[in-house]
Amino acid sequence: MNDPTLIGPCADYEHDLVDLHDGALPPERARTVRLHVAQCARCRGWAQAFASVDVQLAADLPRPELAANFDARLQERLAALSQPVVRGDLRTAIDFEHDSLVDTLRRGARRSALLGAIGSATAMACVFVAARGLFREAPGALASLPGGTEPWMMFGVAGVAIAIAGLAWSAARNGLPLPGLAR
Amino acid sequence: MVMDAGIEQHLAAGRHARAFDLVVPAYKDRVFRLAYSILKDRAAAEDATQETLVRVWKALPGFDGRAALGTWIYAITRNTCLMELRRRRPTVSFDDPDSTEAQHAAASVATGPAQDPERDNLLRLLETLPRNQQEAVRLFYLEDRSYDAVAEQLGMPLGTVKNLLHRARKRLMELARPDEVKAA
Repeated sequence: MNDPTLIGPCADYEHDLVDLHDGALPPERARTVRLHVAQCARCRGWAQAFASVDVQLAADLPRPELAANFDARLQERLAALSQPVVRGDLRTAIDFEHDSLVDTLRRGARRSALLGAIGSATAMACVFVAARGLFREAPGALASLPGGTEPWMMFGVAGVAIAIAGLAWSAARNGLPLPGLAR
Repeated sequence: MVMDAGIEQHLAAGRHARAFDLVVPAYKDRVFRLAYSILKDRAAAEDATQETLVRVWKALPGFDGRAALGTWIYAITRNTCLMELRRRRPTVSFDDPDSTEAQHAAASVATGPAQDPERDNLLRLLETLPRNQQEAVRLFYLEDRSYDAVAEQLGMPLGTVKNLLHRARKRLMELARPDEVKAA
């Protein structure tokens, strides 16, 4: 417990001790603080400990420098950025972006159309088969349908035909047409 | 700053290339030191310096002079470095420099010095401090103990920088000499 730094510096002087060390204290205040330090073992010990940390930090912290070719590298980058844009290259790049975008949209639309057509055809076929089975098993049900069997059978057949036609149309057109994006 | 005045004259006259030719020698080293204090890696700091100067080159025609040129360049530098840090560790919160990362590091070092004196060195201990204190300390010594340079480059008021440096070095004293120094 004899170490004067154990309890730290006088609270009123702590910041001044740091500023004094860093040379950031006005001369008048610096004189006052020096006088105090000369008389106060606690502040003197703390200031010495602080100075030792400061010196060690200054010595130990790396001081890296830019590589010798830094300017050359920078000039290379800037030169690449300064290259005038060739109009033909720009047109090609725009065309490529446009074609990629249209192609992506077409692929998505085609996939949706195919899946939709297949889905609806399958659903209608299932309904048709189920209806046939139902009517075969329960012939009495036919009589109870409004308008008899014929309209319902026709409705089922028409549904399947529409779904198959949609599928064929989608396949024939290579997906849905996109008139607004076509070049 | 005299150099900035020359640069601004060129900018006012629309001579951006000439202005940039003056910006590079005037700022590249300080930008590099600021980047190093944030990124803690020489190569990464050099890349960030390149990137910063390229951004400055692109944006110089739009520089309106509302902020000082240095303030503007250092802000670009800090943004470039923060983007690099985010790229490295996307989960780090930059709003909370005193968060778990520093606390975990402090906890791991706190158990070390008594067992392994070699580990008890200031550079390792510095790593345990909050990120903003680390940056201030590194930059302070890289800038030859200039409070003003640190404040300008970190975009902080002078008082904040002094406070950061005071807390950082006091904490380092406590960590480096735990049996001798206690907080006031």
